[in-house]
Amino acid sequence: MRSRIYTIISGHFKSWYRSKSNIFWTIAFPLLLIVLFGAIFGNGSTKFDLYLQNQDLNANTPTMYSQGYISVLNNTGAFNLHTVAAGQTVQQALDYVKSDAQLHNRGQRLLVIPSGFNTTLNSGNDATIQLYMDQSDQASASLAGIVRSVTISYAASIAGAPDHLNLQQVGIVTRNIRYIDFFIPGVIGMTLLTTGVFGAVNTNGRYRELKIIKKLATTPLSKIEWILGMVGYQMILATISLVVILFFGYALFGVTATIDIYTVGLVVAAALLFPGIGMVLANFVKEAESADAAANAITFPMMFLAGTFWPRETLPDIMKIIANFMPLTYVNDGLRDALIYAEPAQALTNTIIALGLAAFFIVLGSVLMNWKEE
Amino acid sequence: MSNGQPAPFPGQSDKIVQVENLSKKYGENVAVNGISFSLTKGEVFAFLGPNGAGKTTTVEILECLRNPTGGQAKVLGYDVSKRSDQAEIRKRIGVLPQDFNAIDRLTVRENINYFGAMFKHQLDADKLIELVDLKDKRDEQFKRLSGGLKQRVGLAVSLVNDPDVVFLDEPTTGLDPRARRDVWGVVERLKSQGKTVFLTTHYMDEAEYLADIVSIIDHGQIIASGTPDQLIDTHGGKKTLIIREAGEEGLKQLPLGLPKAELRNAGDIAIPLNNGELTNILMGLGATPLHDKEIEVRRPTLDDVFLNLTGRRVSEEGN
Repeated sequence: MRSRIYTIISGHFKSWYRSKSNIFWTIAFPLLLIVLFGAIFGNGSTKFDLYLQNQDLNANTPTMYSQGYISVLNNTGAFNLHTVAAGQTVQQALDYVKSDAQLHNRGQRLLVIPSGFNTTLNSGNDATIQLYMDQSDQASASLAGIVRSVTISYAASIAGAPDHLNLQQVGIVTRNIRYIDFFIPGVIGMTLLTTGVFGAVNTNGRYRELKIIKKLATTPLSKIEWILGMVGYQMILATISLVVILFFGYALFGVTATIDIYTVGLVVAAALLFPGIGMVLANFVKEAESADAAANAITFPMMFLAGTFWPRETLPDIMKIIANFMPLTYVNDGLRDALIYAEPAQALTNTIIALGLAAFFIVLGSVLMNWKEE
Repeated sequence: MSNGQPAPFPGQSDKIVQVENLSKKYGENVAVNGISFSLTKGEVFAFLGPNGAGKTTTVEILECLRNPTGGQAKVLGYDVSKRSDQAEIRKRIGVLPQDFNAIDRLTVRENINYFGAMFKHQLDADKLIELVDLKDKRDEQFKRLSGGLKQRVGLAVSLVNDPDVVFLDEPTTGLDPRARRDVWGVVERLKSQGKTVFLTTHYMDEAEYLADIVSIIDHGQIIASGTPDQLIDTHGGKKTLIIREAGEEGLKQLPLGLPKAELRNAGDIAIPLNNGELTNILMGLGATPLHDKEIEVRRPTLDDVFLNLTGRRVSEEGN
């Protein structure tokens, strides 16, 4: 006798791969997003990106020497300069550079002109400009060479200062995370969200309208077996999405990911969590078409706020707070920690939160689901 | 074609379904109001009534999909209200829900096997496909089938566990006449195999054609039961002599002394017949210009039975 759960899983799976639109939304659409976003943000300019913090201001205006130095940097035509607010400490500035560079797919390099730069040079003392960069990064090494030449030639142009202007290179460790590295786990999270929520809305809403659930309820199949079948199917689908997206991420953009126990935990969590949310929806909104609309209303804001396309740090404060209540946030963050950032501690926290939410929603969905009529 | 062990039927071993004083309320609304009936092995039983009469509620109580509010119902000797009995009932009944659709993207054969896998024992899918005459469509996806063929898949699915009793809820609603006939053909085949069939329908001709026993339900109550002939004899009223397309003119040409005739649609004249009157009336007509009109004697139908019992026609209820 074939197991009933196996039959449910295989029925769902056949229905999935025989539908062109299912294949599109589960596989082709995420890949399309990756290619599009990768192409748009991957086209870096031939100039070097350099973050610049000029701390040497006089009544909010750059002092003469600091302004002069920046002009020379600009005149080389080698840099895209991105200004960092002067009031920030170096650490704050570095944090900002890290997230902004990730978002815009730039290298993490910060040049700091210290406060008192002008005065020090005027008084004939040594002034030091600091360049924070990852020394293992090839592009940064070339950039450092140009900055060094600029510094030397600028020092030469200041009468009597050639020996007083120094460039200090400060090594920082960057993980060299590009936008595409950030984006790929987000696309996986988004795909798990949509296939899970819509899959459950479809099987529990539409199958109810088609009387398939009613028919199954007159057989020995139990509600638990039905739900387990659906979750099993979602796990298979989630695994396929994960593998396909990671494969194309690697093949097209060289994104390397680590699949570990947290990734597995997150896939399991997602395969319970999102169908659970879909089941809750399908039970509150009985008509299949309205349930579909409700699923859209829930998934879209989650997709945009939970850090799928851009880091949550860039959201307005109120949106950041809302994002904290979105289950996708923890799946996205967890996947990033596990797959890309290799941060096991954070991956663990996010996996635990995601599993907790998964347990809550799948139990709620199961309790709410009417197997018999009433 | 019975399977499994015989069910415990205390006393009446051939009663497949026994319902006593069954009722179902939804708040203040009484859907089923104290009905009683029984169904004998090998019988085709039709539960006949307009939409909203309580047919589906009753059949879903028997299928263990709804809990009754009062009374008792047993299927194959098992109590539908007891959880432990429900599991036994589910193993041994076949169900075609009203408006049932199988899974769109599975083929006919896959659908039969899908629902078959829910049971410990399932019949061979190909034999069922043959029974419902779908051999050519065996590997066609369900969504590509016409309404009539879809319903035949539903019938096959309802038989997949070789059930002791099959519940067919409005199996021909929404089908064209040809497809309805095909479904009837399948039910007739089941009947010839000795299957017990519980059929709900609002089609009078369907009940009359297929059923051994008919119970008419209206507003949650059974208002008459019996074989179609018994019901027609008891409640159907008189036979009617119809003179086709005779029109107003024809009414004036009728011989004197006939029972009161009326004009029906398309200009047919209808004359109610008492026993033994037919020869006299025909002789009388022979002497009038009406003798070359088409004449037929119409037997009352279950439609007339329903009309006489309720003052309404089922067709007036809307579907």
